Amino acid sequence: MRSYLWYLARRFGQFVLVVFVGINIVFFVTHATPIDPVEQAISSATQFGQSDPRAVEIMRKALRELYGLDGSIWQQYLTFWRRLATGDFGPSLSAFPTSVSTLIGQALPWTAGLLSTSTLVAWCVGNFMGGLAGYYRKNRLLKGLGIVATGLQPIPSYIMSLVVLILFGYLWPILPISGGVEMNIHPGFTFSFLGSVAAHSLLPVLSLALITIGAWFVGMRSLVSNIVAEDYVVYAELAGVDRHKILTSYVMRNALAPQLTGLALSLGGIFNGAIITEVVFGYPGLGTLLVRGVNSGDYSLVLGIASISIIAVATAVFAIDLLYPLLDPRVKVR
Amino acid sequence: MKAALFCLTATFLAGSISEQAFAQASFLAGIPRNEVLIAENPEGRITNPTWFNIWVVNHGSNSNGLQQLGMDTLWYIDPDAGIDGVWDNSLASDKPSYNSDFTEMTVKLRDGIYWSDGVEFTADDVVYTVETQMKNPTTTWGPGFLASVDSVTAPDKNTVVFKLKRANSRFHSLFTVRWNACWIMPKHVFEKQADPTKFEFNPPVTLGPYTLKSFDPNGAWYIWQRRDDWQRTTLGRFGEPGPKYVAYIDPGPPDKRVILQLNHELDIIHDTTPEGVFTLAKQSPSSHFWFKGFPYAHPDPTLPAVVFNHDIDAFKNRDVRWALTLLIDMKAVSMASYRGAATISAIAVPPTGLYPKYYFDPLEDWLKNFEIDTGKSKYKPYDPTVAQQIADLLRPTMGDKIPKDPKEIATAFGRGWWKPNPQVATELLERAGFKKTGGKWMKPDGTPFSITMLVEGDQRPVMTRAGTMIVQEWRQFGIDAKTQAYPSDFFPRVASGDFEAAMAWSVETWGGHPDLSFFLDSWHSEFVKPAGQRQPPRNWQRWSNPELDKIIEQVRAIGFDDPKGVDLGQQFIKLAVQEMPIIPLMSYNVFTCMDTTYWTGYPSAETDPYTDPVPNWANTKYMMVKLKPVEKK
Amino acid sequence: MLKVLRDLFRHNREFAAGSILVLIVLGIVVASFFSPYPPLDSYVVPPDIPPSWDHLLGTNSRGQDVFWQVAVAMRNSLLFGISVALISRVIALVIGLVSGYVGGMVDRVLMSINDTFVVIPLFPILTLFYFMMHDHMSWVVLAVAMASLGWPYDARLIRSIALSLRNREFTTQSIFSGMSTRQILMEEHLPYVLPIVFSTTLNNINWSIGLEVTLSVIGLTNIETPTIGTMIYWANQHTAMVAGIWWWVLAPVATVIMMFIGLFLLSVSMNEFIDPRTRLARMGA
Repeated sequence: MRSYLWYLARRFGQFVLVVFVGINIVFFVTHATPIDPVEQAISSATQFGQSDPRAVEIMRKALRELYGLDGSIWQQYLTFWRRLATGDFGPSLSAFPTSVSTLIGQALPWTAGLLSTSTLVAWCVGNFMGGLAGYYRKNRLLKGLGIVATGLQPIPSYIMSLVVLILFGYLWPILPISGGVEMNIHPGFTFSFLGSVAAHSLLPVLSLALITIGAWFVGMRSLVSNIVAEDYVVYAELAGVDRHKILTSYVMRNALAPQLTGLALSLGGIFNGAIITEVVFGYPGLGTLLVRGVNSGDYSLVLGIASISIIAVATAVFAIDLLYPLLDPRVKVR
Repeated sequence: MKAALFCLTATFLAGSISEQAFAQASFLAGIPRNEVLIAENPEGRITNPTWFNIWVVNHGSNSNGLQQLGMDTLWYIDPDAGIDGVWDNSLASDKPSYNSDFTEMTVKLRDGIYWSDGVEFTADDVVYTVETQMKNPTTTWGPGFLASVDSVTAPDKNTVVFKLKRANSRFHSLFTVRWNACWIMPKHVFEKQADPTKFEFNPPVTLGPYTLKSFDPNGAWYIWQRRDDWQRTTLGRFGEPGPKYVAYIDPGPPDKRVILQLNHELDIIHDTTPEGVFTLAKQSPSSHFWFKGFPYAHPDPTLPAVVFNHDIDAFKNRDVRWALTLLIDMKAVSMASYRGAATISAIAVPPTGLYPKYYFDPLEDWLKNFEIDTGKSKYKPYDPTVAQQIADLLRPTMGDKIPKDPKEIATAFGRGWWKPNPQVATELLERAGFKKTGGKWMKPDGTPFSITMLVEGDQRPVMTRAGTMIVQEWRQFGIDAKTQAYPSDFFPRVASGDFEAAMAWSVETWGGHPDLSFFLDSWHSEFVKPAGQRQPPRNWQRWSNPELDKIIEQVRAIGFDDPKGVDLGQQFIKLAVQEMPIIPLMSYNVFTCMDTTYWTGYPSAETDPYTDPVPNWANTKYMMVKLKPVEKK
Repeated sequence: MLKVLRDLFRHNREFAAGSILVLIVLGIVVASFFSPYPPLDSYVVPPDIPPSWDHLLGTNSRGQDVFWQVAVAMRNSLLFGISVALISRVIALVIGLVSGYVGGMVDRVLMSINDTFVVIPLFPILTLFYFMMHDHMSWVVLAVAMASLGWPYDARLIRSIALSLRNREFTTQSIFSGMSTRQILMEEHLPYVLPIVFSTTLNNINWSIGLEVTLSVIGLTNIETPTIGTMIYWANQHTAMVAGIWWWVLAPVATVIMMFIGLFLLSVSMNEFIDPRTRLARMGA
């Protein structure tokens, strides 16, 4: 038990480090940008017809005061951490005075849903099929799947989403290719709403899952084929233990532990993929919001999204770390 | 093995079920499709969808229906012919009336106009709008009032009097919609708020003929419903608006918009690519455009141009600016940017609305005789047949989509442009002290002549394409030219003066009305900032010229409708041809595509140019009364 | 060496397929040097012509020959991928070897940093980076930025090998013979980790090309340089898919997918070659 606590403490330390380093990078990079939110606002206001040069001077002065961008970078840095502790990223500069947290709050559930569904589906299907493929090495269907999986694995998210979009958006247009839910359906636990959400998520989930299924499949197959050669499996086979039981209880379980670590390590990458896929499908999540923030030069929004991404991914990794000892008892000893 | 088979079957099953589910789903749950007009909101997905307070800077959405259907103000100027003439007295009952030295403006208001919550609109609302914004300079129009207004009063329920700080013959333009203007605030709603700049105004109390019915908390769509008391709005004068509901949606990128309209799920596309329009024209018999054939698009009264930074030494010299102009082959630029669907302009006003009548026709002969003297040779650069040549270029592939009548060609493609002439360009550059060595042009100081042209990238694809072509032509002449895409904060960068040349516009006009003050007033040298400081709009090129100042001062001294305005405008255009401070290219053509499956009565350049169909323009409210549902056969 | 390659080609199907794919792409890349058109210029050929004998992969709406565009784009993308991979290999090698060999506190600190970078989602950081660099964003800057983010996964891999090398006899002998740490790492350990470095290089090239495509498509790179990403960017700008100019999208996508799969298969077969256990298993099976 004490070793488990020690393990927990170390993992928590790592969690804190990730968040600290990540957010520091993000903070200093954003504050090094030459983009000036006041000028950004003025340019959007003048596009609405306000172009009297005298008026622009008045507006510039007023906005500088309002946005409160004064103070040294260290003061801003301290304010940022203090606000962060309460989950506050200040007001968005392109949607002033709405707070960045509100905007993220609207987008986060969509990304979380997309990400967790596709990751879970891909991890389960990929590992299961990969396990079968490693155990029944001569099965033709599984070999064929192996070739497909190997081919899919190295394709980046953007290309995969584009291909899926072209296939199901242009060539065989059966699924919605844009947005998160149909227009004018009221949110709630109704069949039409949930059905629409599910339908709109099919293509993004498919694009994300196809790539990662490949990775888990290939990884699991090689793990299992190594374990199959281990003595204890050979003995079990000789002893006449049911093959299904060998596969599930002896082989798969041992192979799952490294795959879980793999999941923790690749979450950051999967997150990138989800963001990009959202952009392709116009999904109302963090990715779409991020690109909008970039295009409107709203760096407080971009800063907020980047920080939340880091915290979310680090937390998920930490959660997986907590699960890990349950699967692999050897961890307790170390 | 069995498991694998099971998985495959399950996937296929899921696929076929979802296919059936979608075949049955109606497009707009709960609203019959033939009662709703669906238009694109070019702002895309709205970042803060619940915000309807349109008066603060960086408010939520502008063109989600809010300014088109929910707002109203004193006057509208139509960019085209107008439903009842170019000028419409909307909330005002008459034109603005100034005193003799333009220091006081009196407005008479209409009777019997009501807010959507049943409260009557009065002069108090106008006074409140001005005073509240003056108290809060972080509002969009507050600074404009602060710069001009001394006091505003309402002597009675239907009269507002503005006392101005200084003579301002164009003060009414703050309340005159070109595509937008200062909207009137509902005093009875806002005065209950402690801080009117922090008030969401959700749901908005409207003065226009529609009210908000519902909207997407994720900002992708807004649905507006016709007011039962639409007669009590200013639009009531023209009859009942056709669509019971109007939806403004984010249809996604240009290709998805085309697909949606091909499926009749989007009645009005705001803008797409030229290629997308060709696809629609070919594949969708129900499609309708501003022009029946080429260029299809609606030319906005805005003038994309090569904007030089006059703080850069090379561009201070008129000879250099003219040399660069004479290196541009407009035919190639038109093909590259708009695939030929451009309306070109050789002079510094857009060739749209009623401007051909005011400026292009009268100046055509002067342009033909305009001469450049390089010191070595004389050259008449104007080629009146360029638009004709573009039409001829397109005819073999586009056939009857290209008009034959020279008059129609002039409206659709524009008139002439400058004939490229590398020889004259060389002579001009050499006179400016430039030298060509080893195939590369060198500046007088011996360094290579390089130009980086800022473009907006995917924020404005067509102009990015034009910029790329122009740069290519300069490069082929031996100038080290390149483009740089700058999508995120293009205009702040241009304002900062940190650029050499940019594909942008510094000329915007009313379109229907010949007065040029809309952009010209800000071109006065009193507003030009020294290098390193930010230039206020719209003289991005920082051009100053004593003759120009004289013209502007004369414009200021005459009234808005004074016939002398056209004459002064022509003087400005001639000066701009001689000096070439920016290289005018074309009007900003917007590929608005309309679908006639559910609605008819859209405006059209040939038969009924009553307003601009571009759906984010506030003027499109006039379109609503002309639209009629298509009878089912 | 040749014999090894021939054997690999004959017995290892991944290697055979991978090298064929990569060779095809390399052929296209080499061809780019003989392009008859200046790559930056547009409207040099009639636009929108479907694939034909005159224009093998058709022409695009910008009046460019798609085949020659793909060739130049692939060359630039590949060059980009290789640059990122090489720079990040140096970082991964230094951190991996030092961490594995020195161990102790150094190892723990380095690996904590390492794991931090593994976990942080890079895409938001790269967009922020674009914000910071603004108009100074160039091909080289982006390559350096991505290289400085793309090393940690492989550094861990290299460390694990270095860890096992430390306890081998020859390391102890080197220490006794008075070699410095730098010498031991460079002369003794480096040769052992090189094969694995090589295989990670291939994957890293894939990774960086993939990210470049993504950033370009969103418009966060220099759109003038033809790369696979900017090609797709321009095709999107002209709505090539709805305009029916499918070859403009298909050609770069197909080429880059060939590259991805080719490099990946090579790296897989390389791993098998390095790990004798699987090689035996394969021969047995």
